[in-house]
Amino acid sequence: MGCCFSSDSETSQQNEEVKPLIPDPNLNKIPTNGSDRNADSLLSSRTDEQALLTTILQRTALNIIDVSAVDSQGMEQHEYMDRARQYSTKLEVLSRTLSQKKPVPLPSLSSQPHQVLAADLVSNADVQQVSKIAAYAYSAISQIKVDAKEELVVQFAIP
Amino acid sequence: MTTALTQGLERIPDQIGYLVISEEGVLASAGELENDEHTAGVIMQMVRTACRFRLHGTAEPPFKRMSVMFEDYVYAVTISGQKVFVVKRQNNQREPVIV
Repeated sequence: MGCCFSSDSETSQQNEEVKPLIPDPNLNKIPTNGSDRNADSLLSSRTDEQALLTTILQRTALNIIDVSAVDSQGMEQHEYMDRARQYSTKLEVLSRTLSQKKPVPLPSLSSQPHQVLAADLVSNADVQQVSKIAAYAYSAISQIKVDAKEELVVQFAIP
Repeated sequence: MTTALTQGLERIPDQIGYLVISEEGVLASAGELENDEHTAGVIMQMVRTACRFRLHGTAEPPFKRMSVMFEDYVYAVTISGQKVFVVKRQNNQREPVIV
């Protein structure tokens, strides 16, 4: 829907009433349709701004993880049921493949088991050394700790 | 067939019992380990876990024998031909402990 621009329509009554007070920033972006041009661009700039704000709000809501929120974001009943069905189907497939797994066969460590078992036992010196090494390792691991530098949970506020 | 398995175990120096275990269960037992299904079960779990260790991405388990050492005795364990051999031996080593 549009009409060709003509200098006659520029001075019509319709245009005088809706002539914008401030220059329209979207003038160059939106393809103009003659007499409808000014009316449309004023309205569209307002809705654009609104739409932009809504988009920013939606994007923020999606990206922020609100740990203080008790109620989860409302999900429609049918969507909830759909997801539940999807997940249980996936679980069925996985459990089928898991139960089919055969236990790993025992590897053969030696062809001379009696010889291996009759050989000299581990010396006391070796046992003590291994025990000492294990004690050091245990001590080192028990000293690992988290060095917290910042708060993990913060208040999200607009200053 | 059982005697072939157990003959060699009988002759192990200072052995005080042994077990031969397969996937299905205990094939033979003697001495202090006679009918000891509980110990058999525990040792099977231990040796299965140990067999999962690998050194630097090698294909086979990095050991020939697993020893479970107590103060006075040792369980020596190995695997051959899909069977687990366990022998309980006295630990006679009496070296002075360095404090």
